Amino acid sequence: MAKHADLSIDFLGFKCENPFFLSSSPVSGTYEMCAKFLEAGGGGVFYKTLTTTIPEECSPRFDVPRKEATPFISFKNMEQTSDKPYQDNLDAMRKLKENYPNKLIIGSIMGMDEDNWEEMARDYTALGIDMLELNFSCPQMTYEGMGSDVGASVELIDKYVKAARRGSHLPLIAKMTPNIEKMEIPAIAAIKAGAQAISTINTIKAISGMDFDHYTALPVVNGKSSISGLSGKATKPIALRFITNMAQDKELQGIPLSGIGGIETWEDAAEFIMTGASNVQFTTSVMQYGYRIVEDMISGLSIYLAEKGFEKLEDFVGIALKNIIPADDIERDFKILPKIDYDKCVNCGRCYISCFDAAHQAIDWDNENRKPTIDEKKCVGCQLCLQVCPVYDCITPGKILFKEEDQFGKGSKTIWKEEAPNKHDIIVGKYDKP
Amino acid sequence: MSDSNNVGVKAGISLKPTQGYLEETVPPFTPFLAMEEAARCLLCYNPPCSEGCPADTNPGDFIRAIRFRNFKGAAEIIRSNNILGGVCARVCPYEKTCEGACERSGIDKPIQIGRLQRFVTDYEKSTNFQVLDPPKATKEKVAMIGSGPASLSAAATLAMKGYPVTIFEEKEKAGGVLSYGIVPARLPQYVVDEEIEYVTKLGVEIKLNTKVGKDISLDEIRKQDYKAIMIGAGMQITRTLPIPGKELEGVTTAVEYLAKARSNDASFNAGKHVVVIGGGDVALDCATTARLNDAESVTVLYRRTREEAPANRQELEYTESLGINFAFTLSPSIFESENGKLTTVKANGTRSKSAMKIEADTVVFAIGQQPEDFSKVIEGIGFDKNNFITSLENGTTSVPDIFVAGDIDIDSTKTVVNSVQGGKIAAISIEEYLTKAGRKQAFCSPMHPEGGK
Repeated sequence: MAKHADLSIDFLGFKCENPFFLSSSPVSGTYEMCAKFLEAGGGGVFYKTLTTTIPEECSPRFDVPRKEATPFISFKNMEQTSDKPYQDNLDAMRKLKENYPNKLIIGSIMGMDEDNWEEMARDYTALGIDMLELNFSCPQMTYEGMGSDVGASVELIDKYVKAARRGSHLPLIAKMTPNIEKMEIPAIAAIKAGAQAISTINTIKAISGMDFDHYTALPVVNGKSSISGLSGKATKPIALRFITNMAQDKELQGIPLSGIGGIETWEDAAEFIMTGASNVQFTTSVMQYGYRIVEDMISGLSIYLAEKGFEKLEDFVGIALKNIIPADDIERDFKILPKIDYDKCVNCGRCYISCFDAAHQAIDWDNENRKPTIDEKKCVGCQLCLQVCPVYDCITPGKILFKEEDQFGKGSKTIWKEEAPNKHDIIVGKYDKP
Repeated sequence: MSDSNNVGVKAGISLKPTQGYLEETVPPFTPFLAMEEAARCLLCYNPPCSEGCPADTNPGDFIRAIRFRNFKGAAEIIRSNNILGGVCARVCPYEKTCEGACERSGIDKPIQIGRLQRFVTDYEKSTNFQVLDPPKATKEKVAMIGSGPASLSAAATLAMKGYPVTIFEEKEKAGGVLSYGIVPARLPQYVVDEEIEYVTKLGVEIKLNTKVGKDISLDEIRKQDYKAIMIGAGMQITRTLPIPGKELEGVTTAVEYLAKARSNDASFNAGKHVVVIGGGDVALDCATTARLNDAESVTVLYRRTREEAPANRQELEYTESLGINFAFTLSPSIFESENGKLTTVKANGTRSKSAMKIEADTVVFAIGQQPEDFSKVIEGIGFDKNNFITSLENGTTSVPDIFVAGDIDIDSTKTVVNSVQGGKIAAISIEEYLTKAGRKQAFCSPMHPEGGK
């Protein structure tokens, strides 16, 4: 067999077989579900969040936005915490830990008030599970003062983390909401109050689409709908920015992050790990495809790391952070012109349309021969054409031009040269090339 | 195949195909197209395509791996189950195997599994991804007769288990039917050579120009300390019909015709007016070979109807698109000549009183093949009247150290993919035999003279 890297990694003192976990959600709601995932190779589970009062659920409760023919570009759901009896869930978690001692078993709790947080933490701790996740972030709770309301309030976070700490000696992971501008603030509050790690993102408050006959949002629950949480692939970029922000925050240095948001493939997972997460959690992709997706996550990531020469996954955690810099530090003294491979061009004109309508009118269109040509003078190197081109490897990054020293001050005409001043090597990125 | 843009016949008017004889008909998938095709896959529960693969290549898993952008994992799935993954991707009768089982057909049309498999094996090569890493070959020596798909598959399987394997090949080129019996438009030689190289890189040795029974005898092989011998010699002889004129110059067999064309033999003459007799994939390969080598008219004569023809449907459509004529429910009755040269094929209806006269300077028999007679070379095992070896279970024979796989095995379905599986199964039987024999030896040590439990 090909070389595969060892994917085991530490999380708060627990040696995880791999960094792939189910997030606390509908996909981790029973013993059998969690067990099936662990048998498929998963490294651990965050069992579905419990409340001591079972919530009432609506029907239907999901919506699946599409783009063109692709379903599940994101996923909206209105489900709340577990709808199964509290004691049954506790028994399930206990049994999971007993039967899968080498897998990470985490219980997720959501209290109503300080006493309730403390009491639940105590109940969970007696189960022998490994850690507790404190759910400060579900955006569709029907009780006030629960869910993402908490995640937006430093005072509530402080109170509830301390309450949970009184009830348990286990590591506490605060699950944060993205419905906020700066997640570092509540995250730091959680750590100061006694949490050891942060997991994020929970779902984003959203309206995924509208019903055109009943004039309401989707899904339609007897003619009405609500704003509720959005997850899935489309939320990944937002999640990655939160993870990056926290991983780069000085006060949060050394605090393990568990990444969540649109993870479907090993590449998605690797993106979270590169930006500072030491493990990842997922749900929406399991709802669409099942637990088996973890097999390709394990295979893909372990082959990639072995090929890149990483001896342990830990060395890969946060490896991209040094290369994600403030926008004002980005180099702006060169442009990479696109290059059209006319043997591959199918003469559709999409590059021309996008360049004219949305960029710099830098592509000329020969209507008779249906041929686009790049005007190097007008082209700014934005590469929109390359992104819209439907043919693989047809438009690629080409010639690099460098700005001439600015002799006449700001606003003067820029002169572009092919030679780099001071022997300047430009790194060109990948464009969806496997 | 039918969606190919290499074929110069678009409006049904056939002049000359624009496709060269050595050009692969079906273009490869780009990564975008492969992703699009993989995205069409329904990712079925207990995928029937995987059940449908005779060689356990596991398309359900490798398509899922493509879908989740795990291209190298996909290569690992294919290669670890099917050493000839790139070959099978091109020559498999998918419509009868994986694609025939595809549930997507219930919506529109099956996933193009063969093309996806080709994409993955091409990707594996272009990235120099090393899937297989064989252990040191320290176990008993194994010999194989013939270097076709069955032997290559068996040899690779055994090499991965630490057995040194030598393949004895009578011809100057390895690959058997892959190198001599298929039109390059379907299977380019470089693909065959790369996959053979894959096998030799696992430590398998191929001795070319060495015919067992002539250059080396079975006893000599045994004396060279080979503890097990597998026969994977394939089918070398094309059957013919007892038709007046069959000795004429210009009458030939599929095996000969394809081999000559493929080895780029200078003496190869495709013929000007070619008649191919038969209705299977080999007949189509002969017709395509003739057409792509500039024959002016090519007619395939088949005794049953188009629907009954065993040939792959896509290949049949592709062959028709090249401007090749088909005459169904007709059987040749006489080959006529002038001055000793073939001029005409006369045929009679098999289900009617029709008759046909076709101008021909070349006739190719492609009505089925059979192995050459090995009964004098390998004694003690069973042969049927057509020289096929009557195997016992899982590629074993009535002689304990002799095994069989591939087309020469009477139980084989005579496809490349079936030979790949036959080779794998025979390899497991060989391993079982050798470990048992080895254990017996170990138990007969002075410490345990009567053997262990």
